[in-house]
Amino acid sequence: MPINVGAPPAVRPFGPLRGAAADAARSLVASARLAWAIEGNWAEPLYLAAFLIVRPLAFLGLFLAVLSIGGALNVSTIGFVVIGQAVFQIVSAALEGPTHALLDDRERYRTIRYIFATPSSLLPVSVGRSLVKAIIAGFSALIVIGAGVLLGVPMRAGGPDLVLLLTVLPLGLLSVVGLGIVLGGVCVQLRNDAWAYPQAVSSTVFLLCGAIFPPEVLPGPVQSLASVLPITWWIEGLRRALLGTTSPGILGAMPTSELILILAAGTAVIWLFSPRLFIAGIDRAREKGYLDRNTAS
Amino acid sequence: MVHSVTTRDPAELIGRIHRETNWGFGRRTRHALASVIARAYPRVIGAAREPSWLFFDLVFPILGMCSIVFLLRSRGVDEAWIGSTILATALLSFWISVVWMMGAQFHWERDSGNLLLYITAPVGLGSIALGMAIGGALGVVIRAVIITLAGVLLFGAKYQVADPLLLMLVIVAGVAAMYSLGVCLSSVFLISGREADHLGSLLNEPMQLLGGVYAPVRSMGTVGVVALGILPLAPAIDALRQVAVPQLATTGILPVGIELVILVVMTIIFGVIGRSLLSYIERVGRSGGRLLARAD
Repeated sequence: MPINVGAPPAVRPFGPLRGAAADAARSLVASARLAWAIEGNWAEPLYLAAFLIVRPLAFLGLFLAVLSIGGALNVSTIGFVVIGQAVFQIVSAALEGPTHALLDDRERYRTIRYIFATPSSLLPVSVGRSLVKAIIAGFSALIVIGAGVLLGVPMRAGGPDLVLLLTVLPLGLLSVVGLGIVLGGVCVQLRNDAWAYPQAVSSTVFLLCGAIFPPEVLPGPVQSLASVLPITWWIEGLRRALLGTTSPGILGAMPTSELILILAAGTAVIWLFSPRLFIAGIDRAREKGYLDRNTAS
Repeated sequence: MVHSVTTRDPAELIGRIHRETNWGFGRRTRHALASVIARAYPRVIGAAREPSWLFFDLVFPILGMCSIVFLLRSRGVDEAWIGSTILATALLSFWISVVWMMGAQFHWERDSGNLLLYITAPVGLGSIALGMAIGGALGVVIRAVIITLAGVLLFGAKYQVADPLLLMLVIVAGVAAMYSLGVCLSSVFLISGREADHLGSLLNEPMQLLGGVYAPVRSMGTVGVVALGILPLAPAIDALRQVAVPQLATTGILPVGIELVILVVMTIIFGVIGRSLLSYIERVGRSGGRLLARAD
């Protein structure tokens, strides 16, 4: 006699969302709260604030010290480095976030098998963890930009170009989170040094994307790589929104409307493929038993 | 039952325990030396057996070095600074090793369960720390050489070393002082909880800035002078720059000889402090067991 399993349980709505979208949104919010508990609740607020302030400022100081070699520091020309370095804090956190979250859950807290056993998908969980890391890094970015203002970096007259800022900021954030989850899907397959790959990618992107120097300084073929990275145009867009000027060289030659178009197209392409690549990576990891192992790396 | 210790004469048993545990200086030294070699061995041999470790140990510093070199080139500064950046990156690989492979090591060992074995084994934590330092330094030498060669090949840096012996002295004294500080850091990391990873991050960029790694410590003003007295990176890099890149000798804040003395004094002071801290931790670890609990 067949067993009557009845109708599948209804998914509770989440705001205006229904069905699978509500389920995904709920998972995303829950994982974001968890990420905050892990990333923002590891120390007393004062200690956490000091950490968020000291490291990015030291990073900025390091580059400013280099810029001061061979003469006094000219604050009117350091806006390029200040904004690039500030924004890259977010890029780095979003690129590395999903992989570190997956590996933390797999190897440190050993909870990934339980998350996988729930009806939630790992995709919204990883996106939520990554977004919170990026937002925390955003505080550091604001501190760096604030330090730049205090140093006398000339910002855009009349304040930031809010239209450009609100157009470029979410596009770029989505693109780096998308790239981050692809890295997560790849790195969960790896046995050795899975933690190190996202950092290697992040360091390479830092070198290529014109964060602290114009891409023209790079060797010819590498410049082409720089120009296809959406992150390059994201940072340039934010520079224009905050500084009110265009960067020198090939970055500055691009009209703002085309820059937004390239960034939007890049983000769309990334999100066309990244969820599929992530899910394929996680499915393969499950088949091979990689979600339940400890590499001790 | 004839061989059971309970049936033996207690006085004989006590005497035997005293004979077997009251080692002379020679035996204690031999035992400590064997422990040092045993702990250094996996640092050198193990590292060579895992090519991916070598790959990442090289990739990160080289990418960082490239960023600084391209930043310098974009500003059109003297090419001598590029040579200095390459040397600084090579020396920095020792510092990274000190922070993560010395400072954070006992913290990781605790989380993986090895610290319990260290505490219960008849080996002092000091010997283990010294073995980690010697093995770690030997393991990083090859990385530092490759980084320097890569920098020279990629960017065409040139060096004029008039006194190779002085250069060797500066490197050895700098590395010894850094690893000596690493022994102190290992105690600090061990008593840290979840903050340990973040503490490691705080010891990277801020210390690179204070240590005048890429730009002369002189540009830091008073802070730079203070760093010269407490942070081994600062005198080591400053002396290295003066010895290997003579064009930049004028950027040195102190004569090389004085910086060498500072490094030797740092090695001794940090070594003594680190040894005391480790003895304390060993005592507390054995008696209370609190330090053996996982941080998370």
